[in-house]
Amino acid sequence: MSERLTLEVNGDEIVVEVPADEALVNTLRDRLGLRSVRPTCGLGICGTCTVQLDGAVASSCLLLTVQVEGRSIRTSEGLTNDDGGLSRVQQAFVDNGAYQCAYCIPGMVVTVEACLAESPDPSLEEVREYLAGNLCRCGTYVSILEAVTELVRGDR
Amino acid sequence: MTTTVDRLPGVLGLSIPMPDAEERVVGTLRYTVDHSVEGMVHARLVRSPYPHARIVDVDVAGALAQDGVLRVLTGADIERAVEIPNPYFGLTRRDQAPLAIGRARYGGDPVALVIAETPQSARDGAEAVIVDYDELPYVIEPMEALAAGAPQLHEEWPGNECGEWRLHRGDVDLAMSQATHVFEATYTSPMANAVPFEPHVAIAAWEGDFLEVWTATQWPSAVRGELAHMFDTDPGNVQVRVFPLGGGYGAKSQLKIEPMVAVAAKMVGRPVRLELERDEVFLTTGKHPAVMDIRTGVDEEGRFVAREIDLVYNGGAYAVMTPKAVAQGLLRSIGPYRFPNIRIRSRGVYTNTVPSGSFRGAMTNQAAFAYESHTDEIAEGLGIDPFDLRERNLLQEGDVFASGQVMHDIHFQELLRDVAAVIGWGEETAPTPGKAVGKGIAVMVKTTPPGTRSEVRVEMRSDGDVLVHTNSVDMGQGVLGTLTQLTAHHLGVDIGKVRVQDPDSSTFDSMTAGSRTTFVADHAIGEACESIRRQVAELADRSDHPSPRTAADYEEIMLGAGITSLIGEGAYQSPPSDALSNPLDIKGEVADHWHQGAVAVEVAVDVETGKVEILRCHGAAWAGRVVNPVRARQQSEGSIIFGLGPALFEEVIVADGQVTNPNLSDYMIPSIVDVPIELTSSSLESPDRDAAIHGVGEMTIPAVAPAIANAISRATGARVRQMPMTSERVLRAIVGEPE
Repeated sequence: MSERLTLEVNGDEIVVEVPADEALVNTLRDRLGLRSVRPTCGLGICGTCTVQLDGAVASSCLLLTVQVEGRSIRTSEGLTNDDGGLSRVQQAFVDNGAYQCAYCIPGMVVTVEACLAESPDPSLEEVREYLAGNLCRCGTYVSILEAVTELVRGDR
Repeated sequence: MTTTVDRLPGVLGLSIPMPDAEERVVGTLRYTVDHSVEGMVHARLVRSPYPHARIVDVDVAGALAQDGVLRVLTGADIERAVEIPNPYFGLTRRDQAPLAIGRARYGGDPVALVIAETPQSARDGAEAVIVDYDELPYVIEPMEALAAGAPQLHEEWPGNECGEWRLHRGDVDLAMSQATHVFEATYTSPMANAVPFEPHVAIAAWEGDFLEVWTATQWPSAVRGELAHMFDTDPGNVQVRVFPLGGGYGAKSQLKIEPMVAVAAKMVGRPVRLELERDEVFLTTGKHPAVMDIRTGVDEEGRFVAREIDLVYNGGAYAVMTPKAVAQGLLRSIGPYRFPNIRIRSRGVYTNTVPSGSFRGAMTNQAAFAYESHTDEIAEGLGIDPFDLRERNLLQEGDVFASGQVMHDIHFQELLRDVAAVIGWGEETAPTPGKAVGKGIAVMVKTTPPGTRSEVRVEMRSDGDVLVHTNSVDMGQGVLGTLTQLTAHHLGVDIGKVRVQDPDSSTFDSMTAGSRTTFVADHAIGEACESIRRQVAELADRSDHPSPRTAADYEEIMLGAGITSLIGEGAYQSPPSDALSNPLDIKGEVADHWHQGAVAVEVAVDVETGKVEILRCHGAAWAGRVVNPVRARQQSEGSIIFGLGPALFEEVIVADGQVTNPNLSDYMIPSIVDVPIELTSSSLESPDRDAAIHGVGEMTIPAVAPAIANAISRATGARVRQMPMTSERVLRAIVGEPE
């Protein structure tokens, strides 16, 4: 049983036809080619499939695509500037070497963007709590915190 | 003839981002999991639910009746297929088939493979396969597997023997009898999973006799060689392609699922893709569980006079590397100390569990936990400060290792002093209400893997571009960036001109593992660049052009001679050694250089609950020279974070022959809130500009768990000799209850 529905993905209205039991992560990856969204644990624990759903972070492996009809979804690909340049968060990650194998990094970027949108001047402890749902097996956490710290300080 | 060329300042020692940094951050970097091939079909495995069972019959009719299912393969099909002359593979013993033939040997052993048009139909087909098993007695614990009458895993290897190595030096019995004190303890560590986020994934495609495989592997050359053997073809007929890995940490070493897709693609005549689910990653490989008994004799001044070690590694159901790895396990069990008298036995054992394989800090984490916990237990017993006891016994430049090898480029004292200084060793810590606070230190040594080879081909073009061909795999350590910097350094060209190509299996490299790549690439690239410089100098001689000094001269000379491209080849080969020629008497040169690291931690232990909090942690690695400071630091700090998991909470649990926690809900890995706010590292360098560049991928991880165990002991007086040091274990140790 497939359903036809409209999503707003990275600012574009998109019509997809998906089985009722298809997870959003699969729609984004396999149908829309947004490969920054990655399933790792399938349980909403690791954060590599993190997207912004109407601005709030969500695990796209735990959502059915049919559940999010009409809603706005943003992935790391959709955070770049209009000219394709990196967002300030992405640039801070590059500048601080906040990536290793980088499988988890787009999900981190999506979370940090949401964190800073919600709380432009977060404490270190707040940032840590915000990122507790984004795991990095390479252990890049220190560089990631440095990237966020640089962004926050830059705002002051 | 040696030519000199002006080296550009600062090519080494600069934190130049990886060439693909932006793609990594945005998420557009392609991994193997993102790759697809025209016309490919999908595979799904059926796994044994029993730890040990005879496969009586596989009923595939229901699966074949499903929409889109093309074929169901079983071990029996593989055994009789004329297309697969050698159905067994393995880098030490060919004891594993792509699908179990006749017998399933662990809970999770693949017994059938469903090939279908879509991943969903492959999944549906796999659910419809009915396997009739005849359950057999099984064995999980290695000591039970060694006992007479134990269930036998492989007929060719009686007694479940999976490698045995010994080393002896001096007269241990005499020295023990004359020692002032003798200390003895047993330390254990369980299976852990490396949890690479990108799972094992591979695609195989045949065109006539030519096999092309895309796979997330750290060992493309080994995959190529072993697949060529299976199909009895020349390795030149097998091309292995590798994208950057979404994590490896040893889990993507050796061969894993490549034989399955190669066989499947051969049998259905279409490209076949297989991607493991998360639980299957847990059922594919793991860290060797280990039990280590240590006995140490000490004289009145606290000098180690004798040591005896008995070490048993659980190899799981198939050999993979275990028969050879336990030799490294032996050498890595000694620790960074002088022992005039030492006797060691290290054994690998087959059991009905997930096959053990490489794991970051391989065969070292288990041993370092034991010997560095033991060092502190000795210090405590003697009433000597653990720092002083280490200083007294650490190996130094020119000392003789237990194998008889004279050691050079040795820096344990500097590492110990570095971590002690940063953690404030000897300074009192302010007490915290309800919490016991303490500091711990540990030092580790890891041998380099023996008998390895790495080749590199550097191509200099007359337009100034430099292409580097290697078979080294980027798995997040940034090897492409590191090779770029090394090439720019050795050739004296602008870094922007150098492009390292994706791994290319026509260029041999034993593996990207064991923290060896930076060290060996420096040698191999140096040789290749020297060859290019020589060729350019010869061209200059012939055309009476002045000797080349800069990259611009290269271009001018090549253009003047009408040459568009020059190839320089280089290789690094481990020095020959017969140290491992007799398994029962290891002797001689066992390492071409020595991996050296240290860690210090400060912990707070909740004495009511046993919960351990890491307040501060500092790690140090001997780097020799640092190629890229940011990446060197990320290796040391990433290693510490990686090490926190198995130290404090990671354990693959086997109950009734089954892994019961193969997911990230029940098997937790460190998150950002597990990382101490103060986490720092040092990459120690030599003042010598030509000092050897050491790899730094695993220098801190082995020392993490013992440093924590020692800190817990100094905080609470309780000694935990089993990893992971969960709250329950720590609390039991505090209140003096046995497990």
